Amino acid sequence: MEAKDLYIKPGNQERGWNDPPQFSYGLQTAAQGAPKRTPLNKRVPPPQLTGSPCPVPGDFPSATAPMTPPTNPLAPPCSMNTPPRPCPVAAPPLGGVMATPPPPFPVVEHTDSASSQSENEPDVDDVVTLLNWALTACRHTVKKQVCNDVAKRLKLFEDMWKSGKLSLPVRRRMIGLVQELKSCNWDAADEIHRALIVDHVNEVGQWMVGVKRLIAETRNLNPDLLHTQEVDQSLDTSSAGNSD
Amino acid sequence: MATYQEFIQQNEDRDGVRFSWNLWPSSRLEATRLVVPVSCLFTPLKERPDLPPVQYEPVLCSRANCKAVLNPLCQVDYRAKIWACNFCFQRNPFPPSYAGISDVNQPAELMPQFSTIEYIVQRGPPNPLIFLYVVDTCLEEEDLQALKESLQMSLSLLPPNALVGLITFGRMVQVHELSCEGIAKSYVFRGTKELSSKQIQEMLGLTNPSASGPQGRPAAPQDPAVTCRFLQPVHKVDMNLTDLLGELQRDPWPVPQGKRPLRSTGIALSIAVGLLEGTFPNTGARVMMFMGGPPTQGPGMVVGDELKTPIRSWHDITKDNARHLKKATKYYDALANRAAVNGHSIDIYACALDQTGLLEMKCLSNLTGGHIAMGDSFNTSLFKQTFQRVFSKDHNGEFRMAFGGTLEVSTSRELKVSGAIGPCVSLKAKGPCISENEVGVGGTTQWKICSLSPSTTLALYFEVVNQHNAPIPQGGRGAVQFVTQYQHSNTQRRIRVTTVARNWADAQSQIQHIESSFDQEASAVIMARLGVFRAESEEGPDVLRWLDRQLIRLFMFHLRRSPFLQVFNNSPDECSYYRHHFVRQDLTQSLIMIQPILYSYSFHGPPEPVLLDSGSILPDRILLMDTFFQLVIYHGETIAQWRKAGYQEQPEYENFKHLLVAPVDDAQEILQTRFPMPRYIDTEHGGSQARFLLSKVNPSQTHNNLYSWGQETGAPILTDDVSLQVFMDHLKKLAVSSAA
Repeated sequence: MEAKDLYIKPGNQERGWNDPPQFSYGLQTAAQGAPKRTPLNKRVPPPQLTGSPCPVPGDFPSATAPMTPPTNPLAPPCSMNTPPRPCPVAAPPLGGVMATPPPPFPVVEHTDSASSQSENEPDVDDVVTLLNWALTACRHTVKKQVCNDVAKRLKLFEDMWKSGKLSLPVRRRMIGLVQELKSCNWDAADEIHRALIVDHVNEVGQWMVGVKRLIAETRNLNPDLLHTQEVDQSLDTSSAGNSD
Repeated sequence: MATYQEFIQQNEDRDGVRFSWNLWPSSRLEATRLVVPVSCLFTPLKERPDLPPVQYEPVLCSRANCKAVLNPLCQVDYRAKIWACNFCFQRNPFPPSYAGISDVNQPAELMPQFSTIEYIVQRGPPNPLIFLYVVDTCLEEEDLQALKESLQMSLSLLPPNALVGLITFGRMVQVHELSCEGIAKSYVFRGTKELSSKQIQEMLGLTNPSASGPQGRPAAPQDPAVTCRFLQPVHKVDMNLTDLLGELQRDPWPVPQGKRPLRSTGIALSIAVGLLEGTFPNTGARVMMFMGGPPTQGPGMVVGDELKTPIRSWHDITKDNARHLKKATKYYDALANRAAVNGHSIDIYACALDQTGLLEMKCLSNLTGGHIAMGDSFNTSLFKQTFQRVFSKDHNGEFRMAFGGTLEVSTSRELKVSGAIGPCVSLKAKGPCISENEVGVGGTTQWKICSLSPSTTLALYFEVVNQHNAPIPQGGRGAVQFVTQYQHSNTQRRIRVTTVARNWADAQSQIQHIESSFDQEASAVIMARLGVFRAESEEGPDVLRWLDRQLIRLFMFHLRRSPFLQVFNNSPDECSYYRHHFVRQDLTQSLIMIQPILYSYSFHGPPEPVLLDSGSILPDRILLMDTFFQLVIYHGETIAQWRKAGYQEQPEYENFKHLLVAPVDDAQEILQTRFPMPRYIDTEHGGSQARFLLSKVNPSQTHNNLYSWGQETGAPILTDDVSLQVFMDHLKKLAVSSAA
């Protein structure tokens, strides 16, 4: 899972009252079972029944330069009215983390529109070729109906890509998926499909189930079938067409 | 063991058990005087990554009404190959496979570190898990689209060999046939006509007269995957089902102006329960119901279709003005019991801006261990992620959800079981350990928990039955054994056995020792569960008065003001939702619900916990409050002004930027794993959302006593709510007068 796939989007504030942010599949699965960095589970003991006032937070000797609370931050900044200047000495650590600041909230910016081009623009033909390689191998043993159904969805995927309806992360991760497929890393390919359908269901929902099925059927094949001449031929052809 | 704190923590880590008292008063009379009964919180499937399961059957005591499992407390004669049951003292021979054991070659279940141990047992062919989706189509277009996408996505999250089914409903109820080829067919039912289980099965063609068993009942399906067209393996039907879901339309019946859509939730559920009853009794199954509004038609309706008649409020209920309440509750209660008996659980995912009838339907989930998720719309992160997390996996890559659980409790003779409170039903098993004094779900030592997770926690209540002045039992220790049988998500059947013991103590001579063994946190949650259980069945004010008599300081104060018991400001559905989660979560999460956690972030040092008090609200602090259901980040007045002025954007004020980010990062850690997903509120001094914080803090400064404080410290809260100080003074007076 690449770092790009670990992100957080804001919640849907229009539909949900105080809707929480949405984590990508990668971030959620990474968090399962991982120990908390700073478990927030402490409480302050209550004041005695004798009625002593509750302790005011901050009644501790300050380790840094004293802070002068500004009264009017809109006034021109001066040492009286501004937040404390950072000391040349390292700022007070936050939450037990080292002086290096915590990484900023990686909020997704929607710049990766469907039509953005980059240097390493993934080529749809590469992806389709590999998918068809797997499908061809399946046709020996898997029911025709199923193969045709898969083929239909692969076509839809290809069309969506070519008409610019798929965003860059989807295209990029599909490249990764077919690489894993080619290397027979079935679980890895499966995991990518799962991450894609969780993170981008509106883009991939209609056709991803075909890819899912393709992975499931291909992994059950006799390994020899994956390397018949017919199959290798389909890998060599540059044509991405799929015959019914 | 240095302190009771450590002892308590170690036991919880190993066995998932927290007792109210860790030294037990040896007589019944003394135990009753302690107010809080001997009781515990028990997490049957507590995550134990370090505990590998063993691959053999547990060894049981041969006495017919005992059947306790061999455990580290048993006396063993290695030469004669005999063991003595520590509960009934029966002497049992070891099975032949144990011929090689000796005191230097012990089986795992006899070693003290395996006070909790898990067995994998082979019991017939593995049963697949079943997921039956019941989907409301009376949704707004945007919501229906979002829900459809979530359901399509879930097909990739289901266990690969699971069976899946689909029922949709609106005015009519449709049961969809899932086949791999041809045109999709469905069976349509009227949303108003109540049918018996048998009628439903007949109409769906599930009963084959020629294959009847000797009593004329339909025979169990030979190969369920083939015979049941409505529940098919997901790996076979995923493509068709994806298309089917994609083509779902809104309920076609037009909704006139001023009316609600006709929603036949009651019949839809009855068909779901009947379908599973007839095809897969006693198999792990999960009905997942998605609804966007209240049932308005047929049995189980909660409100009529006239919009001018609002759904019942607390006011309506106390004035006995809730027409459908009793009947609907009774209807869903009956369905819930039927599902529970068959080991089927029911989840409710309710997303709407108004109430949907959780008050009437909560038993469906509470009795079966199913989830309740409550949101505003299916097109929200709160719903989508909560739903995704149902399918979360542990560090081994295995699903956390477990099915078909049963819990059996055995106790030493001096102790009896009064009952349990949690997401369970009674199996009504008779036995010698049952107390006549029922607390919660009592009259049994066996319960069924149809759906479990690693955090599912029951509260169990015991009664000391030893007579006053009777000598302390030989060996000086009482014991309790918890045996949980369940179906793992990988379809294996497993048995987890936890055996714990505590010392008896004579209350007359050792009262200080007993008091020092008191676990305040566990007791608070245990008593709170009892309070909530009673509140669900009795009048509110009586419960509050009863609570006041329980002398547990701080937590009772917050419990008293919590949405669990104070219904003011929360709708009946919201109360049902909060209570549902409270009565099943583990200790740590339950405590957060009663007394939220508050952390303060400032330039003065690392984040520190602070008192949930108005004095903690300061202009130069950021507060992070966790109530379990909400995460609130509150910026003090000065912080808010700096933020508004944009200092965090300037490079020389990078430390301010870090300060702003710190609570967000900490909140993020909680948001990433909590189930259900909490609401997330980012607010500041004077903000409209600040009320989420203000309503939770102890108003030590109200408008009554503001001017009697020396200098102004915290922000005053304008309310007449009782302050902690006043409340505790009052409690102290009560305690002194009742002891006199």
